[in-house]
Amino acid sequence: MIQFQQVTKRYPGGFDAVKQLSFDIEDGELVFLAGHSGAGKSTLLKLIAGIERPTAGAVLVNGQNLARMRRASLPYTRRHIGLIFQDHKILYDRSVYDNVRLPLDIIGFDHREARRRVQAALDKVGLAGKEALNPVSLSGGEQQRLCIARAVVHRPSILLADEPTANLDRDYAHDILELFKSFHQVGVTLVISAHDETLMADYGRRILRLKNGQFSA
Amino acid sequence: MKHWIRLNWIALTRTVSGMLRAPLSSLLNLLVIGIAAAFPLGFYLLIASAQGVIGQLPVEPQLSVYLRTSVAADEINQLKQRLATDKRLTKVQFIGKDEALKQMQASVGGGDLLAGLTDNPLPDTFILTASTDASADSLEALQKELTTSSGVEQVQLDSAWARRLQQLIVVGKALLEIVLVLLAVALVLITGNAIRLQILTRKDEIEVAKLIGATDAFIRRPFVYFAALQGVLGGLLACAIVWAARTWLNPAVEALAKSYGQQFSLALADWRVVLVTLAVTTLLCLLGASLAVGRHLRQFR
Repeated sequence: MIQFQQVTKRYPGGFDAVKQLSFDIEDGELVFLAGHSGAGKSTLLKLIAGIERPTAGAVLVNGQNLARMRRASLPYTRRHIGLIFQDHKILYDRSVYDNVRLPLDIIGFDHREARRRVQAALDKVGLAGKEALNPVSLSGGEQQRLCIARAVVHRPSILLADEPTANLDRDYAHDILELFKSFHQVGVTLVISAHDETLMADYGRRILRLKNGQFSA
Repeated sequence: MKHWIRLNWIALTRTVSGMLRAPLSSLLNLLVIGIAAAFPLGFYLLIASAQGVIGQLPVEPQLSVYLRTSVAADEINQLKQRLATDKRLTKVQFIGKDEALKQMQASVGGGDLLAGLTDNPLPDTFILTASTDASADSLEALQKELTTSSGVEQVQLDSAWARRLQQLIVVGKALLEIVLVLLAVALVLITGNAIRLQILTRKDEIEVAKLIGATDAFIRRPFVYFAALQGVLGGLLACAIVWAARTWLNPAVEALAKSYGQQFSLALADWRVVLVTLAVTTLLCLLGASLAVGRHLRQFR
């Protein structure tokens, strides 16, 4: 599903965020990315989503090499991926409902189907009944759930979450991870980054540990 | 196809709701476009109205040759023959004093003009038409020459002022072209700037949309619709402004024309002019939008 072959990402100025990384993630797998901030977790996720292009090596998603892909085809590849951003990237000029609906408008769902899917996504993350609210009035944990609803509303086959449990208390973090587990159970491939490894240990999945842009033991 | 229509419908509804969300700034922008477009439109209609009147005036230079009341019949015949062979003239028309009186009576309408007069006071007249390419100098020479002929009382050069007015129209048209070009540039800049501001205020939305798989076309579409809507509405506003100005100005203009014994009123924009106005404002706004969008969307990946 996701394959890295000798991938290096060098940012302008000569800093290598990711060095010569190679790994495979199977279809339907749930993988944790561990490491301190600055270890290259965000860059790795951005490489999978095609937000960053590798300086060297190949990033294959669904068998397609993102490094060689035309800029114009990139949007269609991204529609198979759900993104949960570290900084949420929620739009505060519109309601909870309209935030979740944005991916469906981009793809071009018809109104009735879109309404049904937004409703289902909000139910799933526990935000039913808050459709009309402005995201500003949501708590931090609720904003995280809103971000997840927006990432899954178009039912992507890959879900990438960058530090989804940061700034959440332990119980709330567990709720969020349970939510991810339920997506894993229906066959979604998940890559979740976090700097707190104790949370991941409870789930007994594969953990990729990054340090200075390379895997560590 | 259905999918494409849906994507466009989504863009249109988003654009309209965006405009309604900021009604004041949308309205101000429309006013700017409307006022900018009203200038050339109004100017055009003014010239069209003036041209309507001036176009009916004789353009060929005419000379009226009034004969002495004491002129003899063979003097008239001599003059007639001389004029008929003159190469500089394209048409020679003789209006006898009786004929002139009849015409006058017809144009004034009813009543006996000669009541109280013992004699017809009108002179015999030649109306001469010179070729249109005759220069002012040669016409003046002709006038002088005819004045010295026997039996001639007075020679009047008639149509110089009409030619001058026509020249004025030519100047007006050139001015209109200049105003049009300036308007075109202004409209492109105005919409370009409006779009630039919109892109800035919707920066977050554009960034998120691109990250979750929006195509460039999806990002561009609302701005294109915005520009087209602004163009159409701004054009309509321009027509309304010109219509209001005409309604305000017309009574005064009609009164002025009447004092010159002329029927003249400012033209209204007919549907063709309205359509052309809307098409021009819309196209210019679209041009401004596409320039701005092309320039400012490159920063997003």
